[in-house]
Amino acid sequence: MSAAATTGTYSPAAAAGEKRRERKEELRRHLAEDADWPRADGRSFHDCRPAFMQTGPTTAASGSAYAEFGKTKVIVSVFGPRESKKAMMYSDIGRLNCNVSYTTFATPIRGQFAFSFQGTDNKEYSAMLHKTLEGAVMLHTFPKTTVDVFALVLESGGSDLPIIISCASLALADAGIMMYDLVTSVSVSCFGKNIIIDPTSDEEAWQDGSLLVAYMPARKEITQLTLTGEWSDGKITNAVELCMDACSKLCDILRELLKDASSLAE
Amino acid sequence: MVGLSVGEKHFIRGGIAQDLRADGRRRLQFRAISVETGVIPQANGSARVRLGATEVIASVKAELGKPSILHPDKGKVSIFVDCSPTAAPMFEGRGSEEFSAELSVALQRCLLGGKSGAGAAIDLSSLIVVDGKVCWDLYIDGLVVSSDGNLLDALAAAIKVALSDTGIPKVNVSLSAATDEEPEVDVSDEEFLQFDTSSVPVIVTLTKVGKHYIVDATSEEESQMSSAVSVSVNRHGQICGLTKRGGAGLDPSVVFDMISVAKHVGQQFISVLDSEIAAAEAAE
Repeated sequence: MSAAATTGTYSPAAAAGEKRRERKEELRRHLAEDADWPRADGRSFHDCRPAFMQTGPTTAASGSAYAEFGKTKVIVSVFGPRESKKAMMYSDIGRLNCNVSYTTFATPIRGQFAFSFQGTDNKEYSAMLHKTLEGAVMLHTFPKTTVDVFALVLESGGSDLPIIISCASLALADAGIMMYDLVTSVSVSCFGKNIIIDPTSDEEAWQDGSLLVAYMPARKEITQLTLTGEWSDGKITNAVELCMDACSKLCDILRELLKDASSLAE
Repeated sequence: MVGLSVGEKHFIRGGIAQDLRADGRRRLQFRAISVETGVIPQANGSARVRLGATEVIASVKAELGKPSILHPDKGKVSIFVDCSPTAAPMFEGRGSEEFSAELSVALQRCLLGGKSGAGAAIDLSSLIVVDGKVCWDLYIDGLVVSSDGNLLDALAAAIKVALSDTGIPKVNVSLSAATDEEPEVDVSDEEFLQFDTSSVPVIVTLTKVGKHYIVDATSEEESQMSSAVSVSVNRHGQICGLTKRGGAGLDPSVVFDMISVAKHVGQQFISVLDSEIAAAEAAE
């Protein structure tokens, strides 16, 4: 602040950083201490953002899905199964190729994920998406071939990865790829002793810890679980159960959506 | 890749089911660990850790840098892992890139804690020299020298040992009148400050083979895994990070079970590591 004030030159990054920090300090204090403090978007701690999901936004793909959770907007296209590249070794099970990319305008700072974090965030999310889906897709049903899953984050508003995962499984179902079950994913942030579900990017930036669960509700199996921060045993159990419950509800919504889409097609 | 015959696969799986593994260990028993500190003279701190036939080196280098705008009161820590093709032929060329990135991400997740710094191995505010102007940038590099399974646990242990070996030079700041000017810093080459490494967690990877899970899997055992959960545990028994590998899904109750087992094993591993660190420092 002092640098911006005394020199008199325009440096939006420094000033914005200061303001952001003050706002977040306040947010953090409230979320860590009060159990009933309404979040910035008016939700209670255990409410997810209103979701909008749709199948078939892109016509060229075998299957596609669009998801919008608050500000986070994601589009996923699935291509294939198609012949694996010639250079690939023979494989009697199918391959799943996952790619997650951000548009340059997805973040407040242009290209934050698309360029400066290239090699970490995109690849990290791509690898995570692959690890989450490979346990759910029946890879043996399409030997020697590859299924491509391309996810594009149009706008990043927090909880990006769980939304990409849920949207990708909807797109895979839309493409008619055989799966054991739909995978849905939800993340939580922890602030002090409180756990909040489906965090926005503001909340994510100041969280004490985060936990992501990807779950197959019908099979009752966790396909992916990651955790950062400092957690006690009991808190992990609570958070995972909270996530699993939300995943089951989200999965019911996806199922309804797929049923509606197929009855429309007939 | 590990080439195993059908018979060998049965032998490994059968042994794990009967709680007697191919090398005579029980399911929750680590291989013998050996620790050496100060192996890289150019680094501020370094360590070599051997876990059976797995061998890794970790080095910590500190450089003076500028704190980021969003966190003017904090230093920066970055972790990178390199898998040398001398360790295994599969690390040659692009093959190692993906694997190294996976290890780096897992270590970052397990050691750097949450965004606010809760559960972090190193208190980032201890790295600050002048608020908003000068801070220490800590570069932690891991190198896989020889690979026989359980690289993540070995790397985390090596980083823990390397950090306890790290001395950051004492910095004298000469305060100038104008606050906007870059402060002059004088880096001492005689006085060093030690880190508080008591809260640095260790990682325990539980590898699920068949119905059971084992710690410290060799690469033969890893080739038979359905999934693996890596849990990072600190001295206070808190869980600081968790990642899952392998495609197969896990029942929630199994996951909770694995976490509590990892917590228990982690505490033992920390005390073993502590005595090894003390022995290595005495030997130096």
